[in-house]
Amino acid sequence: MIVCVAVVGQQNNPLYLQSFTEAGDELKLHHIVHCSLDVIDERVNNPKKSWPTLNETFLGLLYPSENYKVYGYLTNTKVKFILVTIDMEVKDADMRNFFRRFHAAFVDAVSNPFHVPGKKITSRSFASRVSAIVKSFGSGTTA
Amino acid sequence: MEPDVSIETDCEIRVAVLPIGGPIPPPRLRDYLSMLSGHRRVDLSSVSSFYTEHQKSPFTHQPWDSGSLRFKYVVGGAPPSPWEDFQSCRKTLAVVGLCHCPSSPDLSLVADLFAAACKPYTSALVHRCFAFCPSDSQLDEGKKVDKVILFPPSDRQTQEIHMLTMVQDLAASLLMEFEKWVLRAESAGTILKTPLDSQSSLSSEEVIKAKKRRLGRAQKTIGDYCLLAGSPVDANAHYSTAIELARLTGDVFWHAGALEGSVCALLVDRAGQKDATLEEEVKYRYYTVIQLYRRAYLQDNAQRVSTVSFELEAALKLARYLCRQELAKEVVELLMGAADGAKSLIDASDRLILYVEIARIYGSLGYQRKAAFFSRQVAQLYLQQDNSFAAISALQVLSLTSKAYHVQSRGASQKQDTLSNSLGPSHADGGKMHQQSVVSLFESQWSTLQMVVLREILMSSVRAGDPLAAWSAAARLLRSYYPLITPAGQSGLASSLVNSSERLPAGTRCADPALPFIRLHSFPIHPSQMDIVKRSPAKEEWWAGSAPSGPFIYTPFSKGGSNDSNKQELTWIVGEPVQVLVELANPCGFDLVVESIYLSVHSGNFDAFPVSVNLPPNSAKVILLSGIPTKVGPVLIPGCKVHCFGVITEHLFKDVDNLLLGAAQGLVLSDPFRSCGSGKLKIVSVPNISVVPPLPLLVSHVVGGDGAAILYEGEIRDIAISFTNAGTVPVEQAHISLSGKNQDSVISIARESLRSALPLKPGAEVTLPVTIKAWQLGMMDSDHASSKNSSGVSRISKEGSIPLLVIHYAGPLTYNESPKNGDFVSPGRRLVVPLHVCVLQGLRFVKARLLSMEIPAHVHDSLPNPIFVDDGSAEVVTSPNSVNSLVKIDPYSGSWVFRLLELELSNPTDVVFEVNVSVRMDGTNNGNGVTSIQNYAADFGYPKTRIDCDFSARVLIPLEHFKLPVLDGSFFAKESQTTDGLGSKISNPAERNSKAELNASINNLITKIKVRWQSGRNSSGELNIKDAIQAALQASMMDILLPEPLTFLFTLAKNGIANEGIKSPKELSEQTIVAGDSSIQSASGSNTRFKGSISAHEMTPMEVLIRNNTKEPIQMSLSVTCRDVAGENCIEGSKATVLWAGVLTGIQLEVPPLEEVSHSFSLYFLVPGDYTLMGSAIINSATEMLRARARTDSSEETIFCRGSPFHINVVGAL
Repeated sequence: MIVCVAVVGQQNNPLYLQSFTEAGDELKLHHIVHCSLDVIDERVNNPKKSWPTLNETFLGLLYPSENYKVYGYLTNTKVKFILVTIDMEVKDADMRNFFRRFHAAFVDAVSNPFHVPGKKITSRSFASRVSAIVKSFGSGTTA
Repeated sequence: MEPDVSIETDCEIRVAVLPIGGPIPPPRLRDYLSMLSGHRRVDLSSVSSFYTEHQKSPFTHQPWDSGSLRFKYVVGGAPPSPWEDFQSCRKTLAVVGLCHCPSSPDLSLVADLFAAACKPYTSALVHRCFAFCPSDSQLDEGKKVDKVILFPPSDRQTQEIHMLTMVQDLAASLLMEFEKWVLRAESAGTILKTPLDSQSSLSSEEVIKAKKRRLGRAQKTIGDYCLLAGSPVDANAHYSTAIELARLTGDVFWHAGALEGSVCALLVDRAGQKDATLEEEVKYRYYTVIQLYRRAYLQDNAQRVSTVSFELEAALKLARYLCRQELAKEVVELLMGAADGAKSLIDASDRLILYVEIARIYGSLGYQRKAAFFSRQVAQLYLQQDNSFAAISALQVLSLTSKAYHVQSRGASQKQDTLSNSLGPSHADGGKMHQQSVVSLFESQWSTLQMVVLREILMSSVRAGDPLAAWSAAARLLRSYYPLITPAGQSGLASSLVNSSERLPAGTRCADPALPFIRLHSFPIHPSQMDIVKRSPAKEEWWAGSAPSGPFIYTPFSKGGSNDSNKQELTWIVGEPVQVLVELANPCGFDLVVESIYLSVHSGNFDAFPVSVNLPPNSAKVILLSGIPTKVGPVLIPGCKVHCFGVITEHLFKDVDNLLLGAAQGLVLSDPFRSCGSGKLKIVSVPNISVVPPLPLLVSHVVGGDGAAILYEGEIRDIAISFTNAGTVPVEQAHISLSGKNQDSVISIARESLRSALPLKPGAEVTLPVTIKAWQLGMMDSDHASSKNSSGVSRISKEGSIPLLVIHYAGPLTYNESPKNGDFVSPGRRLVVPLHVCVLQGLRFVKARLLSMEIPAHVHDSLPNPIFVDDGSAEVVTSPNSVNSLVKIDPYSGSWVFRLLELELSNPTDVVFEVNVSVRMDGTNNGNGVTSIQNYAADFGYPKTRIDCDFSARVLIPLEHFKLPVLDGSFFAKESQTTDGLGSKISNPAERNSKAELNASINNLITKIKVRWQSGRNSSGELNIKDAIQAALQASMMDILLPEPLTFLFTLAKNGIANEGIKSPKELSEQTIVAGDSSIQSASGSNTRFKGSISAHEMTPMEVLIRNNTKEPIQMSLSVTCRDVAGENCIEGSKATVLWAGVLTGIQLEVPPLEEVSHSFSLYFLVPGDYTLMGSAIINSATEMLRARARTDSSEETIFCRGSPFHINVVGAL
């Protein structure tokens, strides 16, 4: 189950952060997303080292913690998508698929002429679309 | 768990450092410690001189030339670890006492104290007590007390050498002790216990097992000592044996320990080298170690003692060893594993150490955010301990994290700034700084996290009893996140600000500003009374070329430049107060009391005056901050100093500008000014401000009140303006000029009185009279006035229409106190004094007319007046009292003319005017023969014309004969050049040219006529009649001014032909008399005077004089006609009543230029009565000029000249 998805802008500014848990661990998720930027930063700054394919947008598992796994995705415009899940066994293909759909939703959201680049995404349709993707991801793995 | 572990920790000799005796001043203690702790590594080669081999050393492979002993100084000592048998490096092997002699005079007491202090350190092999700064008596005493080593008082360098010797001695002693210990252990064996063993029940089986294991454990411990003694090869040998034995006996825990030791030995042996194979080896062995520890942990899980800390320590050691960017993933895995293990740690302080270490390793790996995360965990652990020291630690740790979360205190970040950029911020690189801070604004969007961190900092600092840190945290929280905090929370923060400030001394400063938000609003420009003008000393007009030239005080170009920081420059003057407008905003929900706010000036040449402000909730205010420049030089104003919530902070304009910029881009939560209802984003940059030495300052006021003088149109009034030098420097140069509208209304300025008053000392005053003639109200104004009149308001004063008196003045040219720049010239100043005049409408012209009348002259025998003088100019001889006559005789045409200018004036005002006409006369005639105007007395003596309110009246102005004597071609010069008919068109430029010339002569005429008025006692003025006269004269201009080309004059021939001479002399004489008096009495218009002059039935000889007024000869054919009263031609026709002799028609004549030709003829009147004689001529081959004069269009037309009629009164024969 995905507990949190986040969009982080070029300057590591949070653009969108949505958690999908009932428990009040939002702050913890904030911390996890914030900390995972360390790894992304490293990969963004040293793309040659240890990352064989330059065109790869999917960053894979960023770091595993005791309960969570954090996956990352980097767009060409250096916008980062971060996903926090509590599923310990996730197939990379599922993850890629998820991020691809998420990316499409994001592109649609920022294509809105009323969206100011660099500002937080407040679109409700984006939120509902994201939660739909998140839900389908959960069902996809179980099915 | 122990802090700061690494793989090499195993080879460090732990030395407890204890202060002994009386209290040591902290700087002293720090000094002594730094001397000691410099010697962490002591080379074996240097130890050898202190070393004596008592027996054969067990360390057979000791590298005397390359090896070293390592020390780890534990200040204050540490309680003995239960695990010290397991790892010898955990033992405190030596104790060093530090004593400050001045505070502990009795050295023997010191020795006793030291001995007591060493007691708890049972495993300590060597004790040393160092005493510093002994007195002479103590030096003597010290010889007796051998336990205490006295450091002779000397300089630091000597003491350091001394310390080095002592440490080397300590190392040698330790080495010998190690040897002893190893020898004893090898021979006698040793009991090694760990907490694990003590817990195990000693069944018989266990005892046998323990005996087997003992050998292996002893080998491991000997290995430890070898390592400590700096002999890795020996250590390795012992460790190998130990590993073998441990494996055989299944002693997993000790196996792991020995393996760990062997890795350390490997690294020490390969000191400094780091290659891939070594790394692989270390990695492999350490993973094994971790595995073994885990196994030991699982195995002994039943026991109450946990060995998990050894596993975690091993993980940390490996992580620290591997800590490199390339291996980040591995390190992160190790660390995450270690962090997971934290849960199984029972002891909170172990967990604390673990998190500290994890955070440190993350930090050195470059993962700042993760480091910050674990630091926060550390802080939370500290906060769980309920004491203020823990809280202080928590505060310190949190302060470290604040950078990663972008909430750091300005004080900390400024230090970094100054390190990186020692030049300090200047205006020039403002743009770059801007960019950076905008980028950092992006990251500052993790408001959820940031607020949590700041809250924790606030909480921990309150608990730690650090009011300044609490204040700073609360200020940061409030300033940055007020939109996310409820009004109640905001008030809570405000009260915590106040609470913490109560515990701070008054006047405490903090680097972090709280509220309000302050931005620069504007720099008010100098009022026009204090304008500063650059002075160029080379020029006479030194102010010329300085910025605001031209008629405008403000040019649109200079106005537009106000946003550009590079262009705008301000000049302030020493000792003259200046003002700056700033805008404050309080976006929070409580009343903000700013106790004082003033400009913060870093250049130190400015005295700022504090102001106190109250800001209601959600409000913004523009306030005026003032100050006085005190010294010459540039002034930098980066922001404001604010005393608010009990603490003084500096608010930089730049920060708020960045904030507003961020708000405009949607990066920052909210624009505090807009949320307070203030205006839009407007970034005003601080201009370059320079302070110049004192300048004089003129202050003006109008004597008799500064109110506007109310004048009627044309009124003349003297206004006295007094100038006072309010500055501290004398005025040495001053120049008055005029600007603005209606400049010509200022008739005179007493420039001399100002000039003579120079130099104007400080405080001195000079009064300057200025004469003003109120100007004519324009059409618009008068319309305005008339519309206003209906409502009873008749005064008009428009700011824009008043003239301005501009005074450029300056002090001494050079200023002595600035010798550095020799070309420095103190600027001048400009004072603009508006002459406040309110012009009321006065008399109004209704109409102006030219009244012209011609009275035909009578024929008589002599010319009445012209007498030709030598130079050809003519003078009219008039009788003395002819001055008063309005009727003048035309000397050429001989007719009487009567010309008056009639002005009809109405008085719409509510006062009475009296009008008086005077004509100023030229004293002399011009040489070129302008004959017309004679010397008049200035006053005609006419009664004054009084015009009552709302009435109109007429004023007559006599116009004298202004004809020119010669019809000059120059008037028509251009026309004669043109060849075709077009030449005479009205639109021709020549025509205009001539018109202009005519206008000039008319103007000349008009200036001589003054129409003065007086109203009441005080007001008097002059009527502007120029336009009226011009309008009236325009039409008949040519006729008035230019003479006819030919003039005709009829006279009775005196000594004409034949019988005329018979004329009675009496009559002749009578005629001359009459002629002489003609001009006197003719005004009465009576012609009876000529009775008997010409009789009917007599042959009357007459002659006609034809004068050519042009400069060219004229050929013509002349004819003379005579008409009776009825206008019938009485010469020709069947009923002719006049007979004639001579030729009357078709007389061909040529008149030379400017001369006369006479033609004689005789008339015989049959019937008495009045007759009219008239000459006329058809000009042959007329010139262009004549055509122009005659206003003909085509060149074919004949030019016909007609003289003015002459009357002849023929009396009857009786």
